[in-house]
Amino acid sequence: MSDHNDRSTPSRRALLKGGGLALAGAGLYGVAPFMGPWKHNRVWAQTAQKKPLVIGLTMDASGQYAASGGEERLGAMMAIKEFNDKGGVLGRRIEAIHIDTETTPATGSRVAERMITRNEASFLIGAVHSGVANAISQVAQKYGTIFLNTNSSSPTEAGKDCHRVKFVWDGNGTNFSNATVKNAIAASGRNWVLLTNDYVWGHTTSKATRAIVEANGGKIVDELLVPQNTRDFSSYLLKLQQLKPNVVATAVGGDDIKALRQQVVQLKLNQSMAWINNQQDWPDVYGLGPETIFGVFGTTWYYRLDLPGVKEFVAAYQKQFPGMAIRVPGNVYHNGYMATRELLRCVEEAGTTQNIAVIKKLEGRQMKAVDRLQHHDAWMDPLTHQCQQTIYMARYNDAPAEKDDIFKILTQADPKDVQDKDAGAACKLESYEATPSYEV
Amino acid sequence: MDFLAQLLPHVVNGVSLGLLFALIALGFMLIVGVMETINLAHGSLFALGMYVALFIAAPQLGMFPELQASYMALPVSLRYLLALLLAPVFVGIFGMGLELCMRRTYGRDPLYGLLLTFGAALVIEEGIRLVWGSSEKQIPLPEAISGAVLLGDLIYSRYRFFASGFAVLMIFVLWLFLQKTPYGAIIKAGAHDSEMVRALGINLSRLRLFVFGLGVALAAIAGVVLAPIWGVRPHVGVDAVVPAFLIIVLGGVGSLWGAVIAGLMVGMVVGLTGAYASEWSLMSMYLLFIAVVTFRSRGLFGKKSVLDA
Repeated sequence: MSDHNDRSTPSRRALLKGGGLALAGAGLYGVAPFMGPWKHNRVWAQTAQKKPLVIGLTMDASGQYAASGGEERLGAMMAIKEFNDKGGVLGRRIEAIHIDTETTPATGSRVAERMITRNEASFLIGAVHSGVANAISQVAQKYGTIFLNTNSSSPTEAGKDCHRVKFVWDGNGTNFSNATVKNAIAASGRNWVLLTNDYVWGHTTSKATRAIVEANGGKIVDELLVPQNTRDFSSYLLKLQQLKPNVVATAVGGDDIKALRQQVVQLKLNQSMAWINNQQDWPDVYGLGPETIFGVFGTTWYYRLDLPGVKEFVAAYQKQFPGMAIRVPGNVYHNGYMATRELLRCVEEAGTTQNIAVIKKLEGRQMKAVDRLQHHDAWMDPLTHQCQQTIYMARYNDAPAEKDDIFKILTQADPKDVQDKDAGAACKLESYEATPSYEV
Repeated sequence: MDFLAQLLPHVVNGVSLGLLFALIALGFMLIVGVMETINLAHGSLFALGMYVALFIAAPQLGMFPELQASYMALPVSLRYLLALLLAPVFVGIFGMGLELCMRRTYGRDPLYGLLLTFGAALVIEEGIRLVWGSSEKQIPLPEAISGAVLLGDLIYSRYRFFASGFAVLMIFVLWLFLQKTPYGAIIKAGAHDSEMVRALGINLSRLRLFVFGLGVALAAIAGVVLAPIWGVRPHVGVDAVVPAFLIIVLGGVGSLWGAVIAGLMVGMVVGLTGAYASEWSLMSMYLLFIAVVTFRSRGLFGKKSVLDA
């Protein structure tokens, strides 16, 4: 008999108290690696020293958007590699550092603070979750560090939460709703139910959908809010069966939409009502069986667009990242790549990493369709800092040319036709003077 | 009447959800009840159960493609059955290894045990990422328990009925084991007065090893059963351990029937709020917890230990 049994046993109450505190305090496994408090000794090095240019990659590697975080990271890494192969930018090699933002806003803030103050990151790139993007951008604005929101598509990101240092590269919920809703009312019916992820992206996207549905004679029968990380949609799906809408418009993302899709198919509800998913990120459907990709959805890019350069872009991905679970790039990778490449081009053109000079290069920037591998020219709106780009509507491809060819592109909308008209009024960018000067 | 007709499917759904919650909490309850150890790795072991089941049901044997092909030629139902039976055994043995590591924490400040199991949770989760990757996976299901069934004018998932039935079976088997077998009597006695049990010549260390292994195996069973509903992800354990903790406190620490009834209550509350006030559906379980613990701090059946039930 071992001697440890002789010691006094703590009371059950103490045990539970400790357990509860541990669960609550640690935020369970969501607990971040300890990263602070940091002493803010900012010693900005001079560019003349030709030290490496550090780019902080603030992408999720865990949580609801881990899969998308991984893909956009590859996109950014590819753009950085291309520049490094040419000798870097302004004669400086580019070093990328990555810390997992855990799909958690508090972690996003902490990571951004660390990258700026400890790692002396010149720029921050990466976000999928709008709460994380907003948190990072607040820290970035405090220091004047340019931040590229690569894949978070809440209308608030280039609306009320816009910042001078933040540039948003994804289409937003309003763009996608503008592209889908009118046709869907005509094709499927007027009674709609909104299924909304209960955080800022879900709310703002569904708000945009509601406005467009009602403006076009449709009716929102009900809106069901889905808490983040919901895995069991049974009560929602029962409710939908009772409501019997013509169309279900979902603003559900990440792992949640995967679970939802599987459960909808189990109940065959994809056959009894029309489904529209505002935006469908590639990593969220890749690998799911064909039966779970139903309804109509929006995207900003597809790997089989019949455009010059697309095949080479895909081949470069496959060469650089062989053996990846996701064998062909999707919209999330595309956004990560295009955003990073454009930033580095702007640095080169500005001839400096000084933030205001680079910001001015990015604002209003025109990007040719052929360069971005899309159907229409894109531009960076100087009033909202959102990239206005082609929006594609797609559905499952019944006649795939190959295993990965799971989308059928139905239409492509000119960015001018789907622009978020309310964003300009909601966005109040800080002045250049109010934005701290920043150069590393 | 119309309201009742509308409500009934959600009540059925709530009961089914509650049974699954109870299943998740069983192993946690057993370990806390007998060993007075909060096993924060419960969720990760739940996730590990899913992944081991995935490996058994649909292995990826990159270096042995022929072996994989011949194994995958077996009927899905057989592979699923093997997963359901073997995954808990393997994970239970793994859990026994964890218990051996925990021995030095017994009788000390509970924080030692908490920290150890918390660390184990992180290691297991990261280990899963290393071996299986971060992306979500699905366990193939036999046709007999997949698809939908039509009841009235509503469609239900057939698998939900299977999972709920299986949860009832597990609860009954555990009750039978604790109440009707000499091993159950020893476990109950160990929970009640471990010193006396030891004085009677029973090897307490072996008892704890067995109980911990059983609790972990139950976590793995819950993982295998929940996998087709929640999906297989490395961080899925977080979704399991928080309700498990809440349910055992709500039901009264160590009470088997307390855990079952608390699980049903949580399922009902989550199911009904999901239908009628969906934004409250996750928070509702915590509100229920606060409401009960405010008036009955030892939980619903806290007076009795599990093992007196």
